[in-house]
Amino acid sequence: MKLILKQAALTFVSFATLYLIVLGVSFAVLPAPAQNGVLDAQAAGGTLYMTSPKYVFLGRGTLSSADRKVIMVGASNIGNGFRATMVQPLMLCSKVSNLGVGGTNISQVNQIIDLVHEVQDGATRKLNTFVIGVWYGMFVDSEVRYNDADRNRGDTDIDIERYRYGFARRTANGSVNVVPARWLDAGVAAIRPILLLEKAARTMRSMADRLTGRSRDHTDAEREAAVMTDKQKQDALVYWLQGMGSNDQISQEQVALLIRTVDRLLNAGEQVVLADLPIPAWHRDASPYYPAYQEALQAIVQQFDGRRAFKFMRMSDLDGNEDYSDEVHAKPHLAKVWSARLVEILNPLVCNGDSERSPIASSGSVVR
Amino acid sequence: MSLTSPTFFAFLAATIVAFHLSTLVPYRRFVLGTANAVFIGSYLSDVREVLPLLAFLLLGYACVVLVHLRRSGVVLGLGVVAVLVSFIFLKRFSFFEPLGSLPFPYLLIGLSYILFRILHVMIDVRSGDLDALVRPLAFFRYTCNFLAFVSGPIQRYQEFSATDGVEQAALDPDKVYRAFSRIATGYVKFVIIAATAEYAFTYLNQQLAGAGGTKLVVFYASAASAYLIHLYFNFSGYMDIVIGAGYLLGQTLPENFDKPFVSRSFLEFWQRWHMTLSQWFKFYLFNPLLMLLMSLFPAPALTAYLGVVTFFVTFMVMGIWHGTTAVFVVYGLLMGLGASVNKIWQVVCADRLGKKGYRSLTEKVWYIYCARGVTMAYFLLAFTCLWIPELPQLISLVHRLGLVGLGSAFVMLAVLFALAALVMDGVGKRVPGVSITAVGEGLVARNVVLAGKIMSVIAIASLFHKAPDFVYKAF
Repeated sequence: MKLILKQAALTFVSFATLYLIVLGVSFAVLPAPAQNGVLDAQAAGGTLYMTSPKYVFLGRGTLSSADRKVIMVGASNIGNGFRATMVQPLMLCSKVSNLGVGGTNISQVNQIIDLVHEVQDGATRKLNTFVIGVWYGMFVDSEVRYNDADRNRGDTDIDIERYRYGFARRTANGSVNVVPARWLDAGVAAIRPILLLEKAARTMRSMADRLTGRSRDHTDAEREAAVMTDKQKQDALVYWLQGMGSNDQISQEQVALLIRTVDRLLNAGEQVVLADLPIPAWHRDASPYYPAYQEALQAIVQQFDGRRAFKFMRMSDLDGNEDYSDEVHAKPHLAKVWSARLVEILNPLVCNGDSERSPIASSGSVVR
Repeated sequence: MSLTSPTFFAFLAATIVAFHLSTLVPYRRFVLGTANAVFIGSYLSDVREVLPLLAFLLLGYACVVLVHLRRSGVVLGLGVVAVLVSFIFLKRFSFFEPLGSLPFPYLLIGLSYILFRILHVMIDVRSGDLDALVRPLAFFRYTCNFLAFVSGPIQRYQEFSATDGVEQAALDPDKVYRAFSRIATGYVKFVIIAATAEYAFTYLNQQLAGAGGTKLVVFYASAASAYLIHLYFNFSGYMDIVIGAGYLLGQTLPENFDKPFVSRSFLEFWQRWHMTLSQWFKFYLFNPLLMLLMSLFPAPALTAYLGVVTFFVTFMVMGIWHGTTAVFVVYGLLMGLGASVNKIWQVVCADRLGKKGYRSLTEKVWYIYCARGVTMAYFLLAFTCLWIPELPQLISLVHRLGLVGLGSAFVMLAVLFALAALVMDGVGKRVPGVSITAVGEGLVARNVVLAGKIMSVIAIASLFHKAPDFVYKAF
């Protein structure tokens, strides 16, 4: 028994020493990000967190500060079109964060809003304005959207991050936090060695992808120059047809969940901008889901129309085929237009008559 | 509980501590029995789920007692039939669907391995190899040993009994370190190598759907190779974990692998892969069947060919055991075919070249690497049945590949594995292996190596989106 306990202690001490060394290296190589109370998931790749779901889940502690916040949630096209770096300088009184996660559905949007709430107290929450960017591709049930072989069916990208480092555990009734939200930052500091090793592995993979020409990372210049071929358009339509779980309908459960989400935010004193994010005309006209989506959206808007803290934003005129780099994402020049339109709605809603330019606005968003 | 879960580590630590609190044999047996019950209980969400397993154990024990009391071949035969029928009913083999099924979900994990243990005890009691009556609690500890419950190994009762709560040799610091190190190595194999290979396999398997022509052959051969790597490191990793944990609980579990990739023939492969299963089939199916056939056809000239038939039957049954669907019949036939063709080759070569000539042939370098390549290629193709468990899908893949595609895949794999073996052996001879000895046997050095293994496992595990599972749990 003594021998076993001694070996267990030796193993623990050796492990702890090794862990502390790597922890020290992680702080030297990647210092703690100065987030200035904002998050921009578009910039996740350059941070210790690497991916947008991880960035949102692990980095959200910075949203606990008691100041006015615009928090954009949705899929990748929200952060790509409403660029935090473009929106922030135009905002008069609020910090702007982008929590868009690629391939998200409404369930995951709901989860992200919950995660933000976890790190905020009641008074701080009332300073939130959520910009929920939607398009038809987000109205898919989790069982359909998240069913690849490399995950438990129905686990969203946020769920994966919850369980990956033991911050939460899976139960029959959903996830249960193991690490309370108030200890989130301490937890993140503790797993830094793992994040560092993970980052090293991902960096190596990214380099290999670049060397073999399989990299999916595109620069703004590449996006601006992109022109979809007919074959690519056809493939994109087939992709969404295979991924929606229906031939022509969107998930009514996801529609109902969006209604509940907006309703609870408004009831809690938070503000909501629901943005119908446009897609190129060729995609809109060829998609069998678009009519059902528009019908659902009208019903949602009617339900909240007239509530002071709710705004609906439509940009259906911004549907030029040549303005999109693929079937969903706006090119950088269009992102400027999207961002400007958003600011026109946000400033009157968020600032409530404050006309003085906030010092935050001039400082921009500093994220790592 | 999953062997990769924190719950399991806590459970294992608690069991080891409780086990070593006293050296009294009855106390230690109580600890082990309780640990088995807790381990099985962790798989249950409703108490009803364990009832079929309990009934199966009770039936097995009743048969053991009856065979012990009567020592009769007829009683043994009836007992074997009763246990096998119950097993087939509980496992819900698709080709025995008319037997019906129980109207509630129940625990199936470990049932195949329990079957082997029960049959072994019954047969050994009948033959007199097991003289004393196996007591009920000892029977439970043996059949449901939590270390071997999920995926074996299949230990003989005589060996289990010798260490059941009894420490064979006192632990020393080196033995304890080796146990810790073996467990950590198991997790390295399981979490890093096997899970990475599974990730690659999943990707390649997905590519099969849209591929055709040469691309299909290349993707198929690559997927089959990735699956084999996944299967081997997953299963041998599991073995390292349970054998290492066994050392700390005074148990010496048998090894299940002995460098299977150096096998020069189908039959040698099975002497090195899942060894306890092969040995079980050798003792309890191959040997009795061969004896029976030899008594029916006593001509000495026929003996070798009776061996061919016996190999075919043994390996076919062993193959079918792996699953419950029709694909596993195909797998069984492929295993039977591989074993019998291998035996025929040996007989024909020995006839034509003489025993010396044949032995000389098998020692030639070109023959060794050809044989290693062909052996691995055959298993890679046969193992397809393990990753395509439905017959229509398997037929569809074979149809798409065609004879030329399958042949090309076989040749490609054989050549690649032969070359890989040649290179590995060459490198192995010229470059001394990096081992713990090379790093240093000092207290600090070896514990840093151990900590490094644990650190790697934790870091790599966090890259995957879900915890890996043991493949053989499903068989």
